[in-house]
Amino acid sequence: MRIDNTHKNWAIASLLIFGLSMLLYGIYRVPPSGVPMGGTALGLVFGSLGFAFMIFAALLGARKKVPVWRVGRAQTWMRGHLWLGLLCLPLIVFHSGFRYGHGLSAVLMTLLIVVVASGVFGAALQHYMPRVMTREVTMETIYEEIEHVRAQLREEAEELFTQATAETAKAAAAAGAGSTGTSVAVREDEAAPMRNFFEQELRPFLDNPGARGHALADQAQSRSAFVQLRTLVPPALHTTLDDLESICEEERQLTMQSRLHLWLHGWLLLHIPLSLALILLGAVHAVMALRF
Amino acid sequence: MIFEELNKIERQPNGAPVAAEDLLQLPVFKDVSPQFLKKNANATVWRHFKRGEIVCREGEFGSTAFYILEGTASVQLASPIAHVKAQGGPGGFFGRLTSKLTSRLAARQEDRREEEADRRSIPIDAPVDLAYDHPVAELGPGELFGEMTCMNYYPRSATVRAETDCTMLEMLRNVLDVLQKSKPFRAQLDQTYRRRALDSHLRNVSIFRGLTQDFIDHLRERVELLRFTPGQVICKQGEPADSFYLVRLGFVKISEAYPGGELVLAYLSRGDYFGEIGLLGGGGRTATCTALDHVELVRISAEDFLAMVEKFPGVRLGLENAARERQAANQERLRMVRSVPLERFLSQGLMEAQSLLVLDLDKCTRCDACVTACADSHDGVTRLVREGLRFENFLVATSCRQCRDPLCMVGCPVGAIRRRNSLEVIIEDWCVGCGLCAKNCPYGNINLHSFTAQAEDHENPGHKKAVVQKKATTCDLCTEQAEPSCVYACPHDAAHRVEPREFFSETLGQRAGTLKKR
Repeated sequence: MRIDNTHKNWAIASLLIFGLSMLLYGIYRVPPSGVPMGGTALGLVFGSLGFAFMIFAALLGARKKVPVWRVGRAQTWMRGHLWLGLLCLPLIVFHSGFRYGHGLSAVLMTLLIVVVASGVFGAALQHYMPRVMTREVTMETIYEEIEHVRAQLREEAEELFTQATAETAKAAAAAGAGSTGTSVAVREDEAAPMRNFFEQELRPFLDNPGARGHALADQAQSRSAFVQLRTLVPPALHTTLDDLESICEEERQLTMQSRLHLWLHGWLLLHIPLSLALILLGAVHAVMALRF
Repeated sequence: MIFEELNKIERQPNGAPVAAEDLLQLPVFKDVSPQFLKKNANATVWRHFKRGEIVCREGEFGSTAFYILEGTASVQLASPIAHVKAQGGPGGFFGRLTSKLTSRLAARQEDRREEEADRRSIPIDAPVDLAYDHPVAELGPGELFGEMTCMNYYPRSATVRAETDCTMLEMLRNVLDVLQKSKPFRAQLDQTYRRRALDSHLRNVSIFRGLTQDFIDHLRERVELLRFTPGQVICKQGEPADSFYLVRLGFVKISEAYPGGELVLAYLSRGDYFGEIGLLGGGGRTATCTALDHVELVRISAEDFLAMVEKFPGVRLGLENAARERQAANQERLRMVRSVPLERFLSQGLMEAQSLLVLDLDKCTRCDACVTACADSHDGVTRLVREGLRFENFLVATSCRQCRDPLCMVGCPVGAIRRRNSLEVIIEDWCVGCGLCAKNCPYGNINLHSFTAQAEDHENPGHKKAVVQKKATTCDLCTEQAEPSCVYACPHDAAHRVEPREFFSETLGQRAGTLKKR
């Protein structure tokens, strides 16, 4: 989600809550260092509020599971998730009296820091990456379709190559039969650089586009490779080379899209399970603290 | 048997080509050149159907027409005469909590939609129309069906079943095309049309329902039946109005010129009419009418038309009201078009749109929540695909645009897709689920929704069986809800339903526009 002016109200409200909490903490903090802050009335208020915000933030996942439910627009939930989720950290820090604690408390504090940090990281990614993807991946397709599109590109490239080589074979046969051939016919030896390039560079690239270090995976290197190749083969094959170059470009864009998509959503693999663990252990902590 | 000449012809097995000599024995082929028939020896074949056997099914694609020589066949619609109705949503406390809409089929009697056609009959590709309440009719010797499929490659509009043992000629387009030019054949088809369909066509138009049978009989012999080839202009904007037309076959494009372009006002199909505005106003044509494909029209001369409106004041009043409505709607569309910055809109087809689902790609994280919400709201069948044209940083997602040139409406074999005055698409109850509109839509915005329905079991006459029927659907903007589900479910504030001209006006630098969300 883009963090822009539309977040102003949430940002102000969050700052107010944060400021008020800090003020209350400053005024009412129990001075004796031996008494844990969490056990005081104010500490309990901070803890309860922080935990309530965590639960609200976690409910975004449930909200997304039932998009048909009219329980508030999803973007409102997302804004709440971002700002209230962020507020959890200072509230819990106030709840703990700036102590890291030990045992379950330490685990919880670690989890909270990681969850909030991963959330901030994710929010930053989702703020910037969509623009990067829009700018860099002009041939974007639906993510789930990428493999299908790749298969089509491979097929298209093979077809172009087969057509070009079939024409050269025909031209060679015609030359062997004593025919003068057409002006665009290409001799087999003239097409050899393209055949070598296709078999040694292009096909392996299309078969495994994610492989590191491949020359065609880099736009500049790819361009220079095609420029060089055009000087080695007759003009009749240049159209085929243009098409193959376009295929490489599209393949690179798909790779880039996959990579950006991973960045956009990959952090959730850490954020979501840790959030759930945090909620679960937070509940255990609350029960244990209140009961014992 | 109405063809005595059939006795002289030796029947060949099913699928065997009909010899040119045999064809020439039939009166309808009398004017056709023997050389042509010999050259196209395999273009006409014998078809024999046992009683109860299916000749063709609605929705199937084909390229042939059938001419009945012997026996009778029934023509009917097996698809339920109903439209897809979404329900659920805002009713009751729990209803308000969910946007889950279930889709089911609802007939006109149960769910009357705004601006739904009030036709009493359904146009099909045969010399008869089917009654809305009981869509079954009978065809007999000398009758041709499948003309539209053969000439224009449209899907079959109805299911035809042999009621008795039947013998038919199945012919390809080249033969039918030549036959259409043969005087005896034309005369026979025209006679059949005048006898069987003209009456129902006229009465199908609500304002003509007040005509007496005497007057229709009078018209029956006076009307002229005309044919037009694809692209042929029937009448031009500004020309003096001299006739009223009823569409008998094919599609007619009604368009109006405006500075810098052409606005398609409507596509008319079988049973529709045009030309009344010019005649009633006493002036010239207000729009250009062009044949989109092989079109056949019924022409009522200005003289007869004026006699009709004089004799039947109710008809005059109805026509005047209809003309006023059409003119007002046309003016409104033109007004909208004239106020629009064209160049870049036109280059991406956005000009065509009345309402767009746009995704701000700078905000969209490609999470597909919009697609999931749409599917969840419509029985698991999504009506949008997150792919489409890009305009600046906006993706115009694949969702109905309510185009100004609604290509989806061209070719519907039963004329079931049309639009309301608001330009919104409406799919009538008699959609046969052939999918042509979905195929024609350049933006892939029409989907086919499957339903289980009880249909006649052709293998066991008199019995019914459960079959999967399809009905076309388009994005309904979740009208049951305050806000479309796709927009409501977008967590990133990236999805918007917008009125395009206003939405893009800022980007185009034409005027500072405020984002108007629908």
